[in-house]
Amino acid sequence: MSPEINPMALFVASIFTSNILLANFLGMCSFISISKDMKSSNGLGLAVTLVLFVTAGMNWVVYNLVLVPLGLEYLRYIIFIVVIASIVQIIEMIIDRVSPRLYITLGIFLPLITVNCAILGVSLFMEIRQYSFVQSLTYGLGSGLGWWLAIMLLAAIRRRVEKAPVPAGLKGPGITVITIGFMAMAFIGFGGMLPVQ
Amino acid sequence: MNKQGFGYTVVFTFVVAFIFVALLAGANAMTVEQVRFNQQIRRQRAILTAMNIPYDTEEQVAEIFDMVEELESNGVTLLQLEFEGDTRYAKEVSGSGVWGTIRAVLGVQGNGERLLGLEILEHNETPGLGGRIDEDWFTRQFREKLIINGSIQFNEQPGEGDFDPDSGRVDRITGATGTSTSMRRIINNSLEELLPVLGGEQ
Amino acid sequence: MSDVATPTVILKDNVWTSNPIFMQVLGICSALAVTNLLVNTWIMTLGVVGVTAMSNLTVSLVKSFMPRKVRMMVQTLIIAFYVIIVDILLRAYLPDISRALGPYVGLIITNCIIMGRAEAFAQSNPPLISIWDGLTSGLGYMGVLLAIALVRELLGFGTLFGYQVMPNGFEPWIIMVLPPSAFFLLGILIWIAKSIMIKQGEPVV
Repeated sequence: MSPEINPMALFVASIFTSNILLANFLGMCSFISISKDMKSSNGLGLAVTLVLFVTAGMNWVVYNLVLVPLGLEYLRYIIFIVVIASIVQIIEMIIDRVSPRLYITLGIFLPLITVNCAILGVSLFMEIRQYSFVQSLTYGLGSGLGWWLAIMLLAAIRRRVEKAPVPAGLKGPGITVITIGFMAMAFIGFGGMLPVQ
Repeated sequence: MNKQGFGYTVVFTFVVAFIFVALLAGANAMTVEQVRFNQQIRRQRAILTAMNIPYDTEEQVAEIFDMVEELESNGVTLLQLEFEGDTRYAKEVSGSGVWGTIRAVLGVQGNGERLLGLEILEHNETPGLGGRIDEDWFTRQFREKLIINGSIQFNEQPGEGDFDPDSGRVDRITGATGTSTSMRRIINNSLEELLPVLGGEQ
Repeated sequence: MSDVATPTVILKDNVWTSNPIFMQVLGICSALAVTNLLVNTWIMTLGVVGVTAMSNLTVSLVKSFMPRKVRMMVQTLIIAFYVIIVDILLRAYLPDISRALGPYVGLIITNCIIMGRAEAFAQSNPPLISIWDGLTSGLGYMGVLLAIALVRELLGFGTLFGYQVMPNGFEPWIIMVLPPSAFFLLGILIWIAKSIMIKQGEPVV
């Protein structure tokens, strides 16, 4: 049975108070390496949002209409990964046909996404919290937008940090991780503004 | 045979996938009973804890649980146990939290005057914030708590726990307004359903 | 990576010099979230060590039969297989921890370290040394996360492995239970490790 949570509340909460990256630590690998550059961050953010939205819905359908009736829930990790990998492939092909210009922007990021933990994470959270189809879609979309927002903010901050005098040992990943910590604190502050948590 | 050939690739992938899935099916089948047993033990323990009944070993849990009767009255399913001369009730309750369904067991005295206890069975709240509802200090607040006007009050300010059984109040969790409000709703809605049934039996 | 892959070189490389967490902050997604309690971190990282070692072994064993086109897919399948085994074992024998870890066990699949070791090492090395490589990579990862969990549990709850160690009047630091503290501690650990490496004159990536 799905919880009676307003899908819109889930949408807002997954962008701000419980940002998939800042509160659940998901999608860190590509986050740190790509956030050096704002343009790539934007492209990756868009790609993650798109893929999260589609895979959340698709995995919901596969899990609830195929795996559960067949009693194969224990295979969900493999199936989710396969679904994600195929959807990424399909999106890549569609974008290539429909808009070659968009493909140039997104093309290089799509393969990175298959191994982005945020994508699998959203599917697993959706399954464990027993979301309905609509809840899964808004949660997937919200998490994607939240990830996009976080990577854009970090990329912008990093441009300033690069010019700052940082101790040698802290340069690179060290200062980036600490910056993310401050962002996470700021995002927790949203908890007081929104009626969630 | 050509290892990069199409036929070999398909056969190889198929064989590997088949072997792994078969092994997993086996491992799953071997543990399915154990998992079911774990869930059953967990539910029984939670119900006894919520009824404030002490137990030590798994045998004891099973032994005491054999005496628990399930009864239905006005569409409300209750668990009843005669223990040390008084009647104790427990009800499995659930409702929406911030992230997912919260399932819990609520124990109530036979005369409906006080709660006996609360035990959380399942939740998906934020770890470190709302997730603290399953910590001992939070659930211990509900021990023997006096029910005033058919409900339990939640203090406006979050705190470290209100352990006075006669106050009729419990503390909220710091930084978890939504989860605390959900808990209040779940508990008080259940009491609203439960208390008339208990009153009717007296 | 050093040129000669002797067991000691691999140990030093994986645990210290090229510890994937210090160098590229890789692979933390699946585990940073559970570092607020030592027990959860311990079981989780133990799972990662096991999965890395076993998938390295398996990849190394089947590498000569592996068609190039489906290599990534088969590697993912192998990793997913071991992760599901870990998940099934936890569900059956450690139900409380399995519930606490929730979806994070499944996320071991997307841990970049495991895939990275399979691709970079096991794909081109014999089975025994591949297990060793997997084990030591996992250990380097385990060390960092346990250090973070130690501080977070001690200051956030006043306990270690669930046992009260701080005096009674100790006021728990709520920030340590919340996500930002994990980032701060990780940043500080990276800082310390890199500073030591710079002092020792090791090449810092």
